Amino acid sequence: MVEPASVALKFAFLAILYLFLLWVTRSALKDLRRGTQPGVSAIAATPPPDATGLHAAARGVGVGGDAPRLVVESVPGLQRGAAYDLVGDCTLGRGDVEIHLEDPFASGRHAQLTRQGSVIVLEDLGSTNGTYLNEEPVQGPQPLHPGDRVRIGDSVFIFEDS
Amino acid sequence: MSARNRELLALIPASLLVTVGFAAVFIQEDDLISDTSLTYGGVFLGLCFVAHLIIRFTLPDADPYLFPLVALLACFGLVMIFRIDEDLARDQAQWFVIGLIVFAATILLLRKDYRVLERYRYTIALVGIVLLLLPRVPGIGAQVNGAYLGIELGPISFQPAELSKICIIIFLASYLRDTRQVLVQGARRFAGITLPPLRHLMPLLVVWGAAMVLLVFIRDLGSSLMFFGAFLAIIYIATDRLSFVLIGLGMFGLGAWFFANTVSHVANRIDAWQHPFDDQLYDAVGGSYQIAQSLFAQADGGVAGAGFGQALIETPTGAPILPAAQTDLIYALITNELGLFGAAGVLVVYLLVTERGMRIAMLAQDSFSTLLAAGLAAVFALQVFVIVGGVTKLIPLTGVTLPFISYGGSSIVANFLLVALLLLISDRARREAQGR
Repeated sequence: MVEPASVALKFAFLAILYLFLLWVTRSALKDLRRGTQPGVSAIAATPPPDATGLHAAARGVGVGGDAPRLVVESVPGLQRGAAYDLVGDCTLGRGDVEIHLEDPFASGRHAQLTRQGSVIVLEDLGSTNGTYLNEEPVQGPQPLHPGDRVRIGDSVFIFEDS
Repeated sequence: MSARNRELLALIPASLLVTVGFAAVFIQEDDLISDTSLTYGGVFLGLCFVAHLIIRFTLPDADPYLFPLVALLACFGLVMIFRIDEDLARDQAQWFVIGLIVFAATILLLRKDYRVLERYRYTIALVGIVLLLLPRVPGIGAQVNGAYLGIELGPISFQPAELSKICIIIFLASYLRDTRQVLVQGARRFAGITLPPLRHLMPLLVVWGAAMVLLVFIRDLGSSLMFFGAFLAIIYIATDRLSFVLIGLGMFGLGAWFFANTVSHVANRIDAWQHPFDDQLYDAVGGSYQIAQSLFAQADGGVAGAGFGQALIETPTGAPILPAAQTDLIYALITNELGLFGAAGVLVVYLLVTERGMRIAMLAQDSFSTLLAAGLAAVFALQVFVIVGGVTKLIPLTGVTLPFISYGGSSIVANFLLVALLLLISDRARREAQGR
């Protein structure tokens, strides 16, 4: 025989289950819409490709910073926190280049940073020991995002952009 | 509301479910209302609260919904197993506690940086493969229904494939993090399809191939499907090349066809799947009895279910009607007693766990974390697919456990380990996402 109380409890069980699922699903949906990822807000902040110089200038003023920078995290012979402003294109390496490295593992012309529109692109120049972006070997041109770690041999830089 | 307070709040419905479920089973079986069910609910809430405190103090930014969802699944398992057999439920509750201890230990050990796992990738891969080999070792291996699934060490029996899946996923994630770009850029087009470079594919194929061969060797079909699917999912996420997945599926088709024609154990399963109501197959040893009974049980449930304690598991004389109700066929039992509503609810819980896992993978900043989270979520989802698909006759029935619900210690412990890893990844990802 089926107890009426047992039937009631079964429906109570199902009701609690579904209310709980509704709550979690609703929060998950909110989560998706809001997009807590910083990447999302960064994309929204980058000007559209057809934006004029004014756009970029106006963006720079509000935030305080201007040019994207390569900040020294740990580089032989350099103070931590020192930074290179990335105004034009520049090359990193052990030879006579814009960003000179005293690193036995660096090649003469090791890697290159070029500006393409509003992004800075990192490219390895066929170096012997490779260039690492966030501890992954760089293959081909890679766009840099704020907070990215660029490593060449023992030298580590953090890329910053306002 | 902060993430951790949300988590705490979400644990309350899970504990309520334990109370209500146990109360319903008590009333049905003993015709009396006792406050024991409240005690069970309270103890369950207490255990979850301890785990919650550990998360609160070590992983303050971790995903708030993952743990309550898992607690909900565990509560489902406890109620259903208690309804089958009190002693089994006591065992299961003990395993639940051990699972929570493993969960806490994993979080505490790896709270600084779980990425140390990458350093031991080959060791971990080796452990995974040795674990798979164990059931065939004479003395400790045990054969059940033609498959060598478990090992028995004194009183403890253990299914190593459950732990092995996590080891293999960790290896794949860390190996593919390094080589995924090479795999894509070194790819050559041959006869219209893109082939990855063999030199970088080799270690991958060796480890994964060994796992597959061993699974066939121990005749664990469900797990091999799970491993294969997870492998394809993780390689697709790492390389973004659909052609690799297509090649993999082709290989799977060939392999499946080969084994269906050569290994009798596999052929039997497929026959039973295609004709579950055939008289001869129904009566045969290892025949379609299980799947036919599973389908009857689910049909009996209807929309709202027969109610707790109403499903026929065995005849009054003790002959089983629904075989392996606490392990393989527990999903059929849930459908029988809670109906379409209850079963769909369980599936939604699994869907949400997978969704949280994929969300964690999307949030993660470095590719090891992304691949690991996605791989773990994929293997979890596939495990549910393999067993629920089998029980509902979508695919041939093979014995893997329904995570957190099925009776079985190794399954609970391994899946708690999996969830602990997901929470670790999620904590780091969300903290970095908030820029702290």
